This record gives sequence, structure tokens and C-alpha cells, in this order.
Amino acid sequence: MLIPRRYLRLLGVQLKASGLLALQYRADFLAEGLTSLAWTFTALAPLFVVFGTRPSIEGWTFHESLLVVGWFTLLQGVLEGAISPSLTGVVEHIRKGTLDFVLLKPADAQFLVSTQRFLPWRAVNVLSGVGLFVYAFVSLGRWPSFPGVLASLVLLGTSVLLLYSLWILVVSAAFFVVKVDNLTYLFTSIFDAARWPSSVFRGVLAVVFTFIIPLALMTTFPALAMLGRLPWTWLVGAVVGSVVFAWVARRVWLMSIRHYTSASS
Amino acid sequence: MISVRGLRKHYQVHKRPPGLKAALRSLVHRSYTSVKAVDGISFDIKPGERVGFLGPNGAGKTTTLKVLAGLLHPSEGEVHVDGHVPRLREEAFLKKIMLVMGQKQQLLWDLPPAETFELNRAIYDVPRPQYKQTLEELVSLLELEDLITKPTRQLSLGERMKCELAAALIHRPRVLFLDEPTIGLDVSMQVTMRAFIKAYNEKTGATLILTSHYMDDVAALCPRVIVIDKGQLSYDGTLDALVQRVRPEKRVVLRLARPVDAALLESLGRVVSHEPGSAVLQVQQDAVNATVGRALSTLPVTDLTVENAPLEEVMSELFQEGKARRAEAAREAVPA
Amino acid sequence: MSLRTSLKALPTMLRIGFSEAVAYRAEMIIWVLATTMPLIMLALWSAVARTGAVGRFGQAEFVGYFLAAFCVRQLTSSWVAWLLSYEVKQGTLAMRLLRPISPLLAYATEVLAGIPLRLLVVAPVVAISLWVVGAGAVPASLGGWGLFGLSLVGAWLVTFYLNVLLGTLSLYLESSQKLMDIYMVLYFVCSGYMFPVEFFPPGVRMVIDVLPFRYQMGLPVELMTGAHATGPALVLLAKQWGWVVGLGVVATLVWRRGLARFAAFGG
Repeated sequence: MLIPRRYLRLLGVQLKASGLLALQYRADFLAEGLTSLAWTFTALAPLFVVFGTRPSIEGWTFHESLLVVGWFTLLQGVLEGAISPSLTGVVEHIRKGTLDFVLLKPADAQFLVSTQRFLPWRAVNVLSGVGLFVYAFVSLGRWPSFPGVLASLVLLGTSVLLLYSLWILVVSAAFFVVKVDNLTYLFTSIFDAARWPSSVFRGVLAVVFTFIIPLALMTTFPALAMLGRLPWTWLVGAVVGSVVFAWVARRVWLMSIRHYTSASS
Repeated sequence: MISVRGLRKHYQVHKRPPGLKAALRSLVHRSYTSVKAVDGISFDIKPGERVGFLGPNGAGKTTTLKVLAGLLHPSEGEVHVDGHVPRLREEAFLKKIMLVMGQKQQLLWDLPPAETFELNRAIYDVPRPQYKQTLEELVSLLELEDLITKPTRQLSLGERMKCELAAALIHRPRVLFLDEPTIGLDVSMQVTMRAFIKAYNEKTGATLILTSHYMDDVAALCPRVIVIDKGQLSYDGTLDALVQRVRPEKRVVLRLARPVDAALLESLGRVVSHEPGSAVLQVQQDAVNATVGRALSTLPVTDLTVENAPLEEVMSELFQEGKARRAEAAREAVPA
Repeated sequence: MSLRTSLKALPTMLRIGFSEAVAYRAEMIIWVLATTMPLIMLALWSAVARTGAVGRFGQAEFVGYFLAAFCVRQLTSSWVAWLLSYEVKQGTLAMRLLRPISPLLAYATEVLAGIPLRLLVVAPVVAISLWVVGAGAVPASLGGWGLFGLSLVGAWLVTFYLNVLLGTLSLYLESSQKLMDIYMVLYFVCSGYMFPVEFFPPGVRMVIDVLPFRYQMGLPVELMTGAHATGPALVLLAKQWGWVVGLGVVATLVWRRGLARFAAFGG
């Protein structure tokens, strides 16, 4: 997919504006750091509690699970820093009826709403995630193999794509619901299930989290890749799957926009 | 009914210039400036009066209204509304007043206005029979029959504003504050609102204070105006007298049977506009009679009217004057 | 505001609040879907319990516990903090202040009016719990039900007052969103929402017992699933109601001061 230069420039402008805004709220940096730590702690506290009862659960030891939590934390940074803020923006647009202004602009609406706001302070989460990786591998007493790292980097790409597509789907739902504030909350709380290795889920939940809301692909797969336990067929599956998922999300988005423009007066 | 003595309202506002450097600096140090929204205002309003607050944006009109409604505490000064001190927000006081803001709504967004009316009935403890009567009157005067059972979100801005007004009057407030009640409405809806507000005042004898950007609102509704500029009261009296003071000149509007020479018009007075079939002249008040006589005898006049200058123009002149006066004062204050 | 006027207005306020809740039913379904974390935790702990019980919790006990947690969340949650900070930002708090009724009472009735609709979600979940777990899913005696009811009311009040406190802070801070985030995190971890508080090591338990969070969630859940004998249950209830009174006083004071500040700075 070729991105026109104009779009890159637009992205630059939006990033700069968000950067300035972030600097304006001085207390946020501290609060951001604290929330990030608190979130990481939340992700860990149940982990400690769970592994306090068993040395391993469904084939995952404590330190291996830390890798899943690490991926969860990292993606949470991406989600809250680059994806959610814009979601809140769209929800606001729809509520106030100002989405029309976005649709009037001579650029792709999906691109515009996806890049309207960033919260750079939330990158703190990404650092926490990386910190968890380092701690986990030091504790495991070994380092990931080169192909393992490579595969996990590929999966980082697919995970972000999946997360973003999932977000577009949630935004699309905002066109059909009257009061939409809770959608952001729905999104983060669904995503929350991704902090656990996917093998703990069985039956319906396993199907849901692999194929419908592919949380397993986002955190468990990259963790497995780092551990060198991810079969290459799964890797291919994840890449193909996320592309298909993104395509579906795009179709749904276009359909919702059509619904919006034909329904509003 | 309302008495205001030496009202002052000052705020501390965080100030930050634009730009990256300033943003970085404000991380460490923030500068505050004191804004004098209202700076020493006194006036009295008798029961049943209709008073318009005039002034440019940020002059302190809304701040004054909010102080009168008890939403803001004055920094200094005495304010009484029907024997109450507004900032105490006594129940008896709140039941007597209402503030309608054109840009903020109290109607429940996803329920029909009828539900908000009912809610207000309960909250203001309005007896059932009185509620029924008030509602019937409001519904017929404002033509709300079809509106009050539709969810608010489906109403147009004008319809919503009518319902908003109705919701504000369920408890028959003795004092009604209106902050830009006609903002964004089309002309015919503005006329409806004005007529209704006036009728409410005449029928119930409620005291009314209005701020509006539309001079027509003020001209149609308020025999008395109070001009607030930069937080200070610069005029208090009738609208006519204000116009007289600012623009003593009158306008003579002429319709002409055929085009006339510009020089001919200029000999009569200052030419405000001149088109082939019409012309507008501005003349001193004492010269009006003479000018009208000469125009009728020297020009092919088919119609002639004498008017005041448009209110919008009068106002902008007034505020320009205020600005010039302040600039003058500032120059004098600074030693050369 | 006089108590008499408030009480007279209450039924109408509740009825209209209920109509609003019905108008926002799609909203509520989304919110219910967003609060399914106990089900995720149930899946996780079931996986753990597959190889043997954890303390007194086997798979069935986990089902009972987390379904109860889901129900308690539905019935005790409050969105006043968000509402308040939104209304402060939009300036619509002024419209509430014009009315001769305490905004706090108005917020409380709005939340309460949503409960009947939530019961529609809760009832089938309780039925499922009864079917899977048996009679142990609900209190065994009338007295047990009474204690559970009391703890539920207490939990609602603690949550409400904490919300008022957090929401009022938005009158002081430019963005109180971060504080609310931190609050949610603490609530999730410390309340017994993700796992029973008895799984914490003893040292941490002491801290948890002192914090208000357990009394928002853990206590009603434990009383519903019959975790305590009457004696200890009463001690815990006393602690909970201590929080209710304490937070009630603090929240009201902070709210009053916040309003004075709102009146000084304008909306």
C-alpha cells in the first residue's frame, strides 16, 4: 500500500500538535508515569496471586507469562497513546454532529479520524513493556533467538494492525448507538483479557479470542515467538489473519460512513 | 426588585503564549493574570421592568447575570434580588428566578421535553393545577403541541429553544434572566421568542433582564438598557436617549423617481448611500425639517422617511468611543 | 435544600431517571459487555482450579464467586465522577445549580433509577449461578440475605461517595481523568473483583482490609456466597459502614468547598 506524501505530512502536523498539547499539561507526565506503573502493577498483581498457587498454568510458568504481560503493556501504550485518543475524538464528533467537517475534508476520513490526536506521554507504557521483557529473560536465564526476535517484531506489526482494526470496528459501532461514551470503555475492557496467555481460555472463549476478537494473536503469539515456541505456520496464519481482519474492518468502516451520510440530515 | 452596589468580579486566569518554547516554559512556571470581568457596577431594577444588557463580547454582561442568578460569587459589592442575597442560593430564591442560556440547555437530551417539564414541576414543587394551567398556556402560546412528545434530540434548534424557554417558566419565575436567548435562531423564530417573552412579562409582571447580540431583541423588548463596557457601566437609561446621545443625527431616506446628480444630494447633507432610485442622507437633528423641505422641493421624491441610525451602527460607535476614551486615558497616565 | 421538597420530588425524579435509562438501553448493554472481566477471571481461575482447589475454591466456588462479582458490579456501579467532570467542563453544572435541589441528590437518583433495568441482566446470571453451583450461590438464611442487602447498600454508597469525591476534584484540576484511571486500577485489584481478597498474602490483606475498595465489591460478594459466619460478617459490615459515614462527610465537605470555588471562578 502506497501512502501519498501528503498523508505523511498531515501525520507530521497532527503529531506536532499533539506534542505541544502534551507539554501544556505538566502534571500529566507524572500522572502518566504513575498510571502506567499502576497498570503494570495491576497486570502483575493477579499474576503473582495466580502463580502463588501453582508453578505453571496451562504450560506457562510465571516468567513466561511475564512476557505476555509485557506485550500487553507495550500494546496498551500503543493503544492509549496513539489509538484511543482518536477514538474518543470520533465519539465526540458524532455526539456533537461535527463529523461532517471531517467528511468534508479532501482526505480519507478514516485516516483523518485515526490521526487526530496522540498522547505522547503514554509511550511510558511501551518502556514498561520492554522492561518486563528484559526482566523476564534475565530471570529465565537465557535470551531469545535471533529468528525469535525477528518473528516477534513481525508480530508487533500485525498486533498493532489488529488493535487498530479492532478500534475501527468499535468506532463504526459508534454510528449506530445513541450515546457512545461507553465504547472506549468497552474497547479497553475487552482488550484487558489479552494480559493472560490464551491457553487458559477454553471452549467458546478460546474461539472468540482467536478468531473473532483475536487477542491471542496480539500478545500470546509474540510471547511464544520470543520463547521460540511459535510454529512458523502460526506466524503465517497471524500475518494473513491480521491482513484479512484489517480488510474487514475497512469494509465495515466504509459501510458505517455510508449509513451515517445517508441517515443524517 | 434588584439592587446592585459596587459589584466587582475579578478572576485569576492562567496565561500561556502559543509556541513550543512557551509550552516548555509553562511546564515549570505558569503565569497568571487577573481579569476584571466586572469592575464596579451599580444599578437598581424595579419589579416588572424589562432591561437589556448591552456590551461587546467579554464586557461582563454574562458574568453580571451569573452573579445575579447566584452562580458566581461577587469579589466585592452588594447584590440583592427580591430581598435575597443570590450567592446564598436559598431555596426560596432559586424558586423565584430562572436563567435561560441560549448556548446551554437543561432539557434532557434523549427524552421528550414533556419529561423535563414534569421533572421541573417536581423539583420546583409546583402544585398540579397550577402546573397544568401554566403548561397549557405555554403550549398554546409557543405552539408546542407536536413538539413536547418528541425526544429533544429530534427537535430543530428553534423548537428546542422554545421548549427550553417553556421548561424555564414552569415554576413561573418572578425574575427571568435571559442570556442570548435567540442566538442562532432564524428571524421568524426570533420574532416569536420576543413576542412571547414580552407577553410573559406583561402578563405575570415578572422582572426581565436580557443580554443579546441582536439589537432588534433589545429594541423590541427593553425600554431600558444598561451598557456595560470593559466591566464598567457606561450608560443606564432608555434606548432612545442612548441613540440620541451617540448619534444625534437623523437619516433621511429618499426614494427617487429618476437618478439625480450627486452634487445636488451633497448640498443637502452627508450622503450615506446613493443609488439610481434611492438615497440616504444624514443630517443634524435641528436641520431635519429644513432638509426635508428642500429635498421635497428640489428632488423628484416619490417617498421620504426620517429614521434613527441603525442600532448596530450606534452600538459599534459607542464601543469605539469607549475604546478611544480608554486609549486617551492610558496615554495621559504614562508620562512622556 | 429542604428535605420536604426533595422527598416530594424524589418519585418523579426516579421515574424520569428510569425513562432515561430505558432510552439509553443500548448504552447499558455496551456497558454490561464492558464489565465482563469477572467472566475472564472466571476462565482463568477455572484453568488454575483444573489441577486442584485453591484454598477453599474449587471450580464451582469460582463460578459462584465471579458470577456474584459480576452482579454486584452491575448493581453498585456509579458514573457520577465522569458525569460531574463532564458537566464541569461543559459548564452545564450551572444549569443544575439553578435548581432548588441538591445536585448530589439528583446524581444519586439518576444512578438509582438505572438499577431496575440492570436487574434484568442480573437475574439470569444469578439463575445460572444457582444452576451451576446450587444453593451455595446465594445466602442460606433470611438473616444472611439481610446482611447481604445491607452490604450491597453500603457498597453502593461507598462507590457513590468516592465518585463524588473524584468528580469534585475536576473543579480543582485541569484533567481529573488520570485520577479516575488510577482509582479504577486500585478498585480492580484491591476490591476482590479480579480474585478473592483472601488470596492476597496476609501482610497485604491487612492493608486491603483498611482500604475502602474491598467494601465496594468483595464484602457483598463474600456475603452472597456465604463466606463468613454472622460474627465476622457483622465486624466487616461495621467497617464498611464506617467508610460510608466517613466518605459521606468528606465527600459532602469537599463538594461544598468545590462549589464555592466554582462560584469564584465561574463555569
